[in-house]
Amino acid sequence: MKPLIEVKNVRKIYRMGDEKEIALDDVSLSVHKGEIICLVGASGSGKSTFLNMVAGLEKPTRGEIYIGDIPIHKLNEEKVTLFRQKNIGFIFQAFHLLPMLTAVENVGLPLIFRGVDNKKRHILAKKMLEDVGLSGYEKRKPSQMSGGQQQRVGIARALVGNPKIIFADEPTGNLDSSTSVEVMEIMVKKVRENNQTLLIVTHDPTISEYADRIVTIKDGNILNIEENKRG
Amino acid sequence: MNSRDLIQLAIRNLLRRKTRTFLAVIGVVVGTCAIIVMLSIGFGLSHNFEEQIASYGNLHLVNVYQGGGYVVGGYSDGKQAILDDKAIAAMERIKGVDAVSPRVEEYLTFGIDKHVASVSVIGMKPEVMQKFGFNLQEGRLLQPGDKYALVFGNQVPVMFYNPRETMYSSWSGEPKVDVITDKIIMTGDWEYGQKRRHGSEGEKINYKEYKAQGVGILANPNDESAYYVYMNIDTLKTIKEDLKRARKEIGPNQQGYQSAMVYVGDINDVQDVSDKIREMGFQTHSLSDWLEAMQDQAKMIQGILGGIGAISLLVAALGITNTMIMSIYERTKEIGIMKVIGANLGDIRRMFLLEAGMIGFLGGLAGVVLSFILSLLMNTVLSDLLSMMFGSIGVGGSTISIIPWWVAVGGLVFATAIGLISGYSPARRAMKLSALESLRNE
Ligand SMILES: Nc1ncnc2c1ncn2[C@@H]1O[C@H](COP(=O)(O)OP(=O)(O)OP(=O)(O)O)[C@@H](O)[C@H]1O
Ligand SMILES: [Mg+2]
Repeated sequence: MKPLIEVKNVRKIYRMGDEKEIALDDVSLSVHKGEIICLVGASGSGKSTFLNMVAGLEKPTRGEIYIGDIPIHKLNEEKVTLFRQKNIGFIFQAFHLLPMLTAVENVGLPLIFRGVDNKKRHILAKKMLEDVGLSGYEKRKPSQMSGGQQQRVGIARALVGNPKIIFADEPTGNLDSSTSVEVMEIMVKKVRENNQTLLIVTHDPTISEYADRIVTIKDGNILNIEENKRG
Repeated sequence: MNSRDLIQLAIRNLLRRKTRTFLAVIGVVVGTCAIIVMLSIGFGLSHNFEEQIASYGNLHLVNVYQGGGYVVGGYSDGKQAILDDKAIAAMERIKGVDAVSPRVEEYLTFGIDKHVASVSVIGMKPEVMQKFGFNLQEGRLLQPGDKYALVFGNQVPVMFYNPRETMYSSWSGEPKVDVITDKIIMTGDWEYGQKRRHGSEGEKINYKEYKAQGVGILANPNDESAYYVYMNIDTLKTIKEDLKRARKEIGPNQQGYQSAMVYVGDINDVQDVSDKIREMGFQTHSLSDWLEAMQDQAKMIQGILGGIGAISLLVAALGITNTMIMSIYERTKEIGIMKVIGANLGDIRRMFLLEAGMIGFLGGLAGVVLSFILSLLMNTVLSDLLSMMFGSIGVGGSTISIIPWWVAVGGLVFATAIGLISGYSPARRAMKLSALESLRNE
């Protein structure tokens, strides 16, 4: 079967004046539909850079990235945004909810950009909040919720548009261990239900338990790829 | 992103920083108000000029005289243009001209019973009188076929007096005659109806007396028409010839008419029409010549005032730009989030443009409303105050400020446009922000 994501010999160099920082050296990876991939590695090894590149937030210095048949590395900003809007969900370490919007409005935000009308948006967002166990919290502002609750809103927001791929950069980085497990359970459950593809960056070894494959990155290169044999 | 969501989001964002939004709006209010009020004073001025000049006569009218000019571009034989029927027909064809009539004038005396009045009589073509914009107080205007029918200027009936009782016309009070129902005698004899004839020297002139019938009285008591009597030009020409014969005057028979009246439907065309007629080789005179000069002056004053207003709107524009830039700094992270979760570049730009546009629109709206209030105050309170201090100066000077509807609408549109323009560069900047860098911004 043809992989959903194909990363071929990607290199990323940041230039700051005369200095050069090789964030990614030469990375190739294929991910199939429905897979959950965990990216682990030391701080500064290039995990976030890799994720951002695949999500089209940054352009590789060299190499190719395909999602389906679409050459992400070639799209201009306009097109890549549109692609992201339709196909990709994002979960952040720092939640990144909009402070002026309520929980249900935050969840509905990606749908606003798709032009979904208010009524339909509200129904979908409310349902999604329910699925992440936050019914009753619809009207709360982010400042009125705990970190775990906020991250569940973040998950709901990433999933509401039913994207093909979800990226999560240290989604549990700001949460304690029991809350982390809670949040991971919800996320993985939803992703499995809808046969979505998930790429998670994490430092937490317990998180990698949920993955199908664990990719270890070191100094901008893939050190090894470990199949998770849970059965 | 549909427009309803866009608007809702913009409103919420504006309400987040109420004070700042309010201050930006106030700037626009002041700017809009300054421009509109300043312009309105200019319009008031120009209106007063127009009213003043209109009270001296008819602004639609161009009087054409023979003589003076020569055909422009004609050969150098210096042949004078002749004001004949051909020339009149040519004037009728000029764009903007509603009607043309040749004009003959004669000073005649009217007698009704024991009362007399001596008035200048204007002969014109009865078939075009309707088109000259005369308003009637009573009766009708001249019609084709009228011969000895008379249309009286508004003030003429008052001028009838009994020469056996007083020496002169009264010029005021109630008319002692009814010029429409009473029988009228018309003659060239200025001493008609008086007890003794002063002019005993020379031989007695045998003046003809004509029976005439008043058919109408004009409505305007102020302009020059008020002191004239109007009748059929052909009849008046005959009377003139009779007089000439009776007075035994000799002189060359003049070619063409002495003068003509041209009626222009739109006052704004009067200058063009005058120019064209002068090109034909005639002299023209119209009150609009005057008005033009005065209005140029009013426009200049208005330009200066409007410029002062424009400066304050410019300051307001800077205020909007500043507000938007501040807002973008504050919301950098938000913009990054929106971009990552799928906001189109266009949506981001539209969002900020809309906010800036709303500030402009709201400020403009409030500015227009405030302008009308100020205008009203100026026309009542200030106007009273001024006339108390200086007495009532001139005619119709009570209107200080006039706001035409298009200035109000224009002000609103302009303020909104200023908002959009001020917001353009900040909105572009927001759109161009790198999503990742914005997210790192804490
Ligand atoms: N915008 C940038 N400009 C310059 N250098 C950068 C930039 N972004 C990342 N880097 C560098 O690239 C390397 C990889 O960074 P990256 O953020 O991918 O690391 P990471 O694996 O996500 O680390 P962490 O676990 O701490 O989040 C680092 O050395 C970093 O300093
Ligand atoms: Mg990272």
